[in-house]
Amino acid sequence: MSVFQKFFSKLTVENIKIELMRTAYGNEQTPLARLDPRMLILWVLVYSIIPWLTHNMTILIGLTLFTAVLAYLSRVSPLLIILLIIGVISQFTYLVFAATFLGNSYAALIAVIPVALKVSCVSLATMAVFTSMDPEKFSDALLKMGVPGKFSFGVSYGYRMLPILIEEYQSIIHSFRLRGKQPEKPGFLYVRYIYYYAKMCVVAFYPMMLNTAKRTRTTVEALEVRGFSYTLENNVAKDLKLGYLKMKKYDVQFLAITLLVTASVYTTGVLMPL
Amino acid sequence: MITFDHVSFRYPGTEDWILKDVSVTIEKHSFTAIIGGNGAGKSTFCKAINGLIPFYYVGDFEGKVQVDGIDTATANVASLSRKVSYVYQDFENQLVRPRVIDEVIFSPLNYGYEDFQERGKRALELLDLTHLAEEYVWQLSGGQKHLVALAGALALNPDVLIIDEPVAQLDPAHAIELYEKLKVLHEDHDITIIVIEHHTEFIASYCNDVILLEQGNVKWKKPVREALNAVDELTEKQIHPPQVTMAAASQMQQERMLPVTVKEGAEWFKEYKNHPRKMPKLVVQPGSTPLIEFDQVSYGYKTLSRKRVPIIKDLQMQIRQGERIALVGSNGAGKSTILKLISGLLKPLSGEICFQGNSTIKTSPEKLAEKIAYIYQKPEEMFIEDEVVKDVAFFLKVRDNPNLEQVTEKIMHQFHLNEIKHRDGRLLSGGQQRRASLAIGLAMQPELVLLDEPTASLDIATKREMISMLQKLDSQVKASVVATHDMQLVAEWATRVVVLNQGRIIADVSPMELFSNEALLRRASLVEPQIVSLCHQLQIHPIELSIEGFLNRIYLEEAASERFSEVF
Repeated sequence: MSVFQKFFSKLTVENIKIELMRTAYGNEQTPLARLDPRMLILWVLVYSIIPWLTHNMTILIGLTLFTAVLAYLSRVSPLLIILLIIGVISQFTYLVFAATFLGNSYAALIAVIPVALKVSCVSLATMAVFTSMDPEKFSDALLKMGVPGKFSFGVSYGYRMLPILIEEYQSIIHSFRLRGKQPEKPGFLYVRYIYYYAKMCVVAFYPMMLNTAKRTRTTVEALEVRGFSYTLENNVAKDLKLGYLKMKKYDVQFLAITLLVTASVYTTGVLMPL
Repeated sequence: MITFDHVSFRYPGTEDWILKDVSVTIEKHSFTAIIGGNGAGKSTFCKAINGLIPFYYVGDFEGKVQVDGIDTATANVASLSRKVSYVYQDFENQLVRPRVIDEVIFSPLNYGYEDFQERGKRALELLDLTHLAEEYVWQLSGGQKHLVALAGALALNPDVLIIDEPVAQLDPAHAIELYEKLKVLHEDHDITIIVIEHHTEFIASYCNDVILLEQGNVKWKKPVREALNAVDELTEKQIHPPQVTMAAASQMQQERMLPVTVKEGAEWFKEYKNHPRKMPKLVVQPGSTPLIEFDQVSYGYKTLSRKRVPIIKDLQMQIRQGERIALVGSNGAGKSTILKLISGLLKPLSGEICFQGNSTIKTSPEKLAEKIAYIYQKPEEMFIEDEVVKDVAFFLKVRDNPNLEQVTEKIMHQFHLNEIKHRDGRLLSGGQQRRASLAIGLAMQPELVLLDEPTASLDIATKREMISMLQKLDSQVKASVVATHDMQLVAEWATRVVVLNQGRIIADVSPMELFSNEALLRRASLVEPQIVSLCHQLQIHPIELSIEGFLNRIYLEEAASERFSEVF
């Protein structure tokens, strides 16, 4: 089996679901996971901006390496890494192709590298953070930072619903397959197969939406009797719920390390620009 | 505890009153069952207790409901919810948090209780769920989710607990376990419990009062024994009293109170003798070629930790023409997985499944579907069109079948779907959805039909209808396989029972042999129909599977006492 076949054989709905849920809830013990979620949000905000403010290659390489190390420590899902690599490579190739065809020289290749580095750096930082922070902590941090309760609850409820929605989507796809008819011949470049599956994937969304809408009736009633709107109006629960969020010594240490690394990357960059 | 005083209610924008002039009292610390046909207003009645009516559903509300002395019209949902907790029939939709522990602390946290952690933990302890505290809700089994929903309700420490159809989605052994827990809550923790329940066997064993609702009205409220003795009235309303009660009722001893539990039944029938009968011969069809052959099949699914959990282990089985097979076993025994493997939706990890000699591994589900129809446990997920008739015709239409109209018409007629043919399948009632899903399957004109829990969460009348439809399938298909918890269905329909336990076949027998073997029943956590338990109690061997069979078997000896007096 070639690498590609191996990769696509793993690309089943079940595997995607597992990888998604692992990314969301999976990691407990990684270094980043022990941080206060507000620190993580702040950190990822800063780190998704600073790469865009420089053209210095040394700095960009340094930052990318730093985020890559953090992503490694956070045990980011291999599926996401592969997707990132595919994304970066394809973007890289098409830009180079376009540039070469339009009459430019290999200089285009050099010009594209910084952009690719910036994108990788930001992606790695985001993946590291969201793998380390489960949606519960994310939602609590948002609430603490003053985001309205309905929104922060929506974040955690959305994640909670994901596996259910994926499963339901899968059953509806199965429904289509159990009654549909696959094209007899794959057609040129599997065009007919691709059309058949693509159409099914789109059409299956409607039944899923309708079923979800039906389900929501109970959910909304249940939220009402379980005091959700009461707590939004009275704010009694907010302090109780968020009591565990505290910036600790560990957070300060992390901040110090980050500052130190970033500062040294910048210094090296200024002294030895590539 | 709860009083209804001339309460009427209708939902906004509707003409008909859902509750009509309801007056009834439910005492403190009682265990009350609410019974009634579909559309009798059972859920609406319960929602009037926890304040959803009239606060959340602002319809026309008349009369007065009091809970523990509080008039619900002057209170609000928040204050009532702390007294009255509600567990829905579709309980999965009331679980809104990712982890079990988050779920149970959700309500106390929302109401601002300082001790929310302790409350949650206490609720988990009450239901022996502490070991699941850190689990993610979506990884639990149906039975466990139901208990978590119940724990979430208990965390508020309510005075009243309302549960809508508690056992509809549970296997028989888990159903008994749940009722045992409710019993503890009722007896040791003084909680007033109200259940909406179709299963009169459970009502007989656990409840003390019964309220019969009919078209929005309280027909009567009686103590349980008296209520279940109204055999004729209940049967007329499509509610089936326990089998022992039905059996005793036909014995014309009007002066005695009828039994409602197996124990009482055994006492009631102890004077009776029974005609001896030989163990019936098994129906075997040697020589008929297998439709499906499982050869050393294994299957498992992945968990979050990317480990494979085996579900089916080295399965060896054949399905032959003319068989009606029931797959039974507790939740998670692998019943649904076997159906999915046959349908080709899942491929075995090792081993091979052959349909008429061809391996399913290389065949697409689309191709297999031309011979095999798989009918889901959740009918909603089978509706892919916006009208029932389009759903039924879908399979034939994409295949440009020349008999499209003819077949569709015949099937629509056979399953009484003509009146609702242009409605959206998702908006039908539970029973109609089942009928429609069966129709969709049979319009595919399959040779083999696979059904997953065809009688789950149906009321008794609809269930009867379903069983009789299944019994008529034989002329249309070569074989049928049903995965089910419903032992009544097994007793009345199946010719062969495959008993599964943790992914392995532990018995492959006739229904007669299964129900005769008490050790096997316990091992697979199955619970036999009441009439079978009665046979066990009365030591009738071989057993009888139906009430009619039982009644034909037993006789009261020609008044022994009379002959005595003749001698002297």
